[in-house]
Amino acid sequence: MINQKKSTPISPDLSISIGGLGLKNPVLLASGTCGYGMELDDLLDLDQIGGIIIKGLSIRPRPGNSPPRLVETPCGLLNSIGLENMGIEAFLRDKLPLLRNIKTPLIVNILGNSVEEYFEMARRLDGAEGIKAIEVNISCPNVKAGGIAFGTDPETAASVTHAVKKATGLPIIIKLTPNVTDITEIARKVASAGADAISLINTLLGMAIDIKFRRPALANVFGGLSGPAIKPVALRMVWQVVRAVDIPVIGIGGISTPDDALEFLMAGARAVEIGTATLIRPGTAEEVLTGIRDYMKTNNVQNVKNLRLPA
Amino acid sequence: MPGFDIPANIVEQTRLAHSIFLLTVDAPAIMDSTDPGQFCMLEVQENNSKDPLLRRPLSIYKTGSNGQISFLYKAVGKGTRLLSKRRPGEIIRVLGPLGQGFRLIHDCTSILVGGGLGIASLLLLAQGIKQSGRLIILIGAKNAAEIPTVEDFSRLTRYFHVVTEDGSLGQRGMITDLLDQTLQEITGTARIYTCGPWSMMKAVYHMVSKRNIPCQVSLEAAMACGIGLCLGCAIPKSNSRGFLHVCQEGPVFDADQVHWGQNS
Repeated sequence: MINQKKSTPISPDLSISIGGLGLKNPVLLASGTCGYGMELDDLLDLDQIGGIIIKGLSIRPRPGNSPPRLVETPCGLLNSIGLENMGIEAFLRDKLPLLRNIKTPLIVNILGNSVEEYFEMARRLDGAEGIKAIEVNISCPNVKAGGIAFGTDPETAASVTHAVKKATGLPIIIKLTPNVTDITEIARKVASAGADAISLINTLLGMAIDIKFRRPALANVFGGLSGPAIKPVALRMVWQVVRAVDIPVIGIGGISTPDDALEFLMAGARAVEIGTATLIRPGTAEEVLTGIRDYMKTNNVQNVKNLRLPA
Repeated sequence: MPGFDIPANIVEQTRLAHSIFLLTVDAPAIMDSTDPGQFCMLEVQENNSKDPLLRRPLSIYKTGSNGQISFLYKAVGKGTRLLSKRRPGEIIRVLGPLGQGFRLIHDCTSILVGGGLGIASLLLLAQGIKQSGRLIILIGAKNAAEIPTVEDFSRLTRYFHVVTEDGSLGQRGMITDLLDQTLQEITGTARIYTCGPWSMMKAVYHMVSKRNIPCQVSLEAAMACGIGLCLGCAIPKSNSRGFLHVCQEGPVFDADQVHWGQNS
């Protein structure tokens, strides 16, 4: 009998750590595309996912923008939901208890109109049972500074980071807006202000016009573009930020297949978030996870960190 | 509750009129749990193409005892045109059944008012009411070609009337006039269930609310997920600053919950 030499199949290590928070794998559900968590129960095995990022919460409930709020564009989705949410108190009271049985770490995304609001939000989450980290959306307008987004000014981005770090011991992930001239400048500022990690990119500002009715297609005129259309932009920015800071970077932007996710991991992202793809195919995150594992087995990659390209 | 996301085999794709199609798929899990007025999100593109990106929401028109569900739809945009090119034997992903359907109340006369392809969300309801109550069906359309499946309705009740704007089927006229006439003739309590163009549903609601007749409406909105994740399908509420979400709280609403002032 011929002795068939079988190479032992490796069992890849996908576990990662972000600001001291251990995750069993690097595939997370992005804020704003997985609701308050339980909406996806039954359509996705939430226990398999690396992390769940709850939709952006504000200090008070927000009704959101007038419709139309969505327009489909080539390979993309433009939205101006207006950050509709129930507010942090209602979330902590009504939704968080429902999530206690899920074994996957919960990360809450927060947004504010002022540095003080960000501070207050982070303080309230600090003691909440079951919340493992905070992702901070700094793409919102700073009301006190004439509506300029916190995330487009390096100093303001840094002061939000300072404020939330002061308010809580939870790991802080700052989510960057791509609507800036130099993303690395903002990234460096928030890193030196104490951020534990950076996630990027938020949506790209865009618009569409309805030529039949001769008016902007979104009631809000402008909206955020997401989906596969923005992936190359996101990947470029992740590559740049990974090489500009020493803290972990989480890649977001148009990831809908394992190949997409692998590109981000090769660019140096510690983890990825699945956003718009979940809206279209609720099971995407699990498929991406399986695909990454298969790739690592096939290519004999022992640890997910080793996917990162050297350059 | 969020339904099933399943690969479904296409059994039938029939062109019934110029741009109107009947699509039937094998989806036993969805069929078993479908209530009248619910909908599915259907993948329209082939080979994981990303353009168009989103699935399309379609009302469940019919269910078969053999695990099949059917959709009656008009190929109007890029997505539905692509869907109409999918052939029997191909697999498409279908997520459903989704949303809150009609709430059936049997102890009164039920009047179904369907405008154009709005009839697509009313057939299962009509079949449900037929079991136990008095059923009046009123259908209006621009022309006969817009409503190629009226026989599915006319066989359910002898109180069936159809009007078209060009007189190509039934009497020539407007559905609102037909409803007005019907409301004058009926005795006892009644309920209205309607689906059709926004302006028609608005007119129906105004007409019946004056008579204090309860009215349920099935609404449409641009939608990305169908399961309450994106909050894109917002419709203004009648009595506050907030919004209703068509996918999760609807698509069927009590008409007085809806702010009808907007154009849509």
